Amino acid sequence: MTFGNAVQRLFAPSARPFTIVVGTIIVLGLFDRGTGYFFSIGTVFSVMQLFATLGLVALGLGLSMLIREFDLSVSGMVGLAGCIAVLTGASNPWLGAALGVAAGLLGGLIQGLIMTRLNLSSVGVTLGGLLTMQGLTYVLTDNQTISYPKIAVPLGLNAPLAGLFSLRSVVALAVFAIAALAMRYTRLGRDVIATGSDRRASRIAGLNTDRVVISVFAASGGSSALAGVLLSYSLGAASPVALSDVLAPAAAAAIVGGVSVIGGRGSPMGIAAGVLTLCILSSGLSAIGVAPYVHDLVTGAILLVIAILDAPDLAQRITTWQFDRAERQRNALKGASS
Amino acid sequence: MPVLAIDGVTKRFGPNAVLKDVSLALDAHEVRAVCGENGAGKSTLVKVITGLYAPDEGAVCVDGTPVVITSPQHAQELGIALVAQELSLAPALSVLDNIWLGNRKVPLLHRRQELRARARAALDKLGLNDLALDTPASALSIGRRQLVEIARMLTRDARVFILDEPTATLSDVEIERIFAALRALKAEGKSVIYITHRLGEVFEICDSVSVLRNGDLVGTRRTNEIDRGTLMQMMLGRSLGEMYPAWESSPGDPMLMVKDLHVPPLVRGFDLTAERGTVTCLAGQVGSGAITVLRALAGLTPGASGEASISGKPMRLRTVARAQAADVKFISEDRAGEGIFLRLTVGQNLIATKLKDHTAFGLLARRGLRATAASLAAAVGVDRKRLHSPADELSGGNQQKLAFGRWIGGDRPGVLLMNEPTRGVDVGARAEIYRLIRQFCDRGYCVVMASSDIEEVLGMADVVVSMYRGRQVARYRRGETDMQRILADITHPAAA
Repeated sequence: MTFGNAVQRLFAPSARPFTIVVGTIIVLGLFDRGTGYFFSIGTVFSVMQLFATLGLVALGLGLSMLIREFDLSVSGMVGLAGCIAVLTGASNPWLGAALGVAAGLLGGLIQGLIMTRLNLSSVGVTLGGLLTMQGLTYVLTDNQTISYPKIAVPLGLNAPLAGLFSLRSVVALAVFAIAALAMRYTRLGRDVIATGSDRRASRIAGLNTDRVVISVFAASGGSSALAGVLLSYSLGAASPVALSDVLAPAAAAAIVGGVSVIGGRGSPMGIAAGVLTLCILSSGLSAIGVAPYVHDLVTGAILLVIAILDAPDLAQRITTWQFDRAERQRNALKGASS
Repeated sequence: MPVLAIDGVTKRFGPNAVLKDVSLALDAHEVRAVCGENGAGKSTLVKVITGLYAPDEGAVCVDGTPVVITSPQHAQELGIALVAQELSLAPALSVLDNIWLGNRKVPLLHRRQELRARARAALDKLGLNDLALDTPASALSIGRRQLVEIARMLTRDARVFILDEPTATLSDVEIERIFAALRALKAEGKSVIYITHRLGEVFEICDSVSVLRNGDLVGTRRTNEIDRGTLMQMMLGRSLGEMYPAWESSPGDPMLMVKDLHVPPLVRGFDLTAERGTVTCLAGQVGSGAITVLRALAGLTPGASGEASISGKPMRLRTVARAQAADVKFISEDRAGEGIFLRLTVGQNLIATKLKDHTAFGLLARRGLRATAASLAAAVGVDRKRLHSPADELSGGNQQKLAFGRWIGGDRPGVLLMNEPTRGVDVGARAEIYRLIRQFCDRGYCVVMASSDIEEVLGMADVVVSMYRGRQVARYRRGETDMQRILADITHPAAA
């Protein structure tokens, strides 16, 4: 295998997220140059804590992107589920968590039903859902931060396991594992890819695509709701304004993770790698002393490069362009000699 | 007892009845052709049988019992399998997953050896022994995709198989494989409904034929009791007369010159000269490069290189804007995707290229556009009453006329490029489209069309260029060649 071939393989859509995450670690490691701020257990732990929240939201959003939709309501769901959990889970945290996740599933289900029954685009419906949920959160909390009385819950969720993980990040990883197995080995996973790849064709083939769409939005709602529940519990408080800006990073993570915005391509493991990339960038840049306000610039540049790599016929365009340039040079030479 | 019977089915859309009291009965071991012009009701009939439409009157009976088929899934459970006219493979899935996609009997954990084996067997039956099950569908040619769809149908364990124009995109070898599979199904006692525009296929593979016209069942005949002429007459309600317009060929000066055209990976070093006022046909099967050449000349292929000139003026390849500025007009083989705007109305489709002519101070002049739309509709023979209907409600033939209508007008005659202009178009509309093509010639256009239909090539061409695997095999003037010669050229050229 030649060098060019190897590079091509590393940047093939299915391998790219993993290449990028490894590349990010290597680059940050080189900047770190053994000072040990970046390669430390503390950094890994903080990366995994970020992963727990952003990951589950990106998973939900990424699943909706897989079927060529866009679930804008995920960030609303995070806040709403967090508040519901804190409000109802004061005596029993399990009850609060169950109600919070149930609200997410129900929210996704309702939005999915509206979309499929009325044949609407997800952007409009979930934008409405986003604002409704945010509004609902304000109303439920009277626009105040509500603290959670059971101090044992945040302590338990955040206690380091093996130094690297917390219960919170283990739960997030488990959800990713389940999603990955379901996508790879079950008929449901195949149906999701088929629906995203060509919905009309899938319907003609006999697939009930409406059911797939509704399931995906329920899963997306449930996953982001779980993120919200875990976050509120681990902070010991719920605030209506917390994490309202999680949408853009989640979308970025899904795209870095190899989910195609035109549907049908991507995997939970890829999304996990995309989320890790963003979390590592954020923690790692801080660790090596880059100011937080520069982080967005780096993330944005990486996203742009990925978008360009996805251009159709990119290789062919480059060849043609080189060909044209060579021809122009030849003509110029001819002109000069005659 | 018939396996499937359609008993007095009527289906209306608003005031229009598209099926009127149609009755059919299909036995085991029977291959039944259903023929008719576009708009005759064939597709509606299929949709009634597969549960997409509920009939307003009448019933569908399976094994003599009337059933209300509520959904395609329900039809599948009743043992009815369909190969739809539209491609229905999900490009991102593998061949294996596509074969089982939508099958009600696939278990939740679907990675099973048994499913692989059955998919393999179905592909082998169609001669696709070399096709790996894990190939993504996006890597397949259109023809192969169609064969995979038929493999999917074979795995459905159905008793009634419906194929809606399955051969439109296939080469002769592939068609022969499908026929072999159908004969095998028939021998096993299955029933087949075969919808086609190609009359030759009716007599080759079918036992009987039912003809629809304007929603009425004209009749059902055994194929060994009638001939081609009778069948055509049943379909049209009149005898066909001449399908291809008679004309005096008057070649003008060379207008389109192509030298050393390369379109990787298929076409390498292709030359072409086409004259004003003539029809040049690039005859070739799927994969011959005929379609690729015209797409490249229309500026649609980023990787194309070579020299092209229109009336002596060089034209830059690889941009549609330059091609159009040089008066090169293109009608795509992919009507739904590139030919017309399915979501817009008939009128809006017709004026799509005329907006610039009817703009004052950046605003559209509605009155002028309306008049233009009406006159274009008249020119191409689309009913004026349909100007406000969405284009996707039209038949394939009428949609194709819209694609033509868009290029009528303009001061200078140019080059008209067409890929498979009559694909999925019925006999009646076909004759009209041939007449339209000739009108373009009379106005001084240079027409170049790629076609895999040899009859059409012989009927229309002033110059035939036969192609095989991306290169020219031979070039004939009108009258210099015949069907056997072209067939030999485009399948197994002697020099290859």
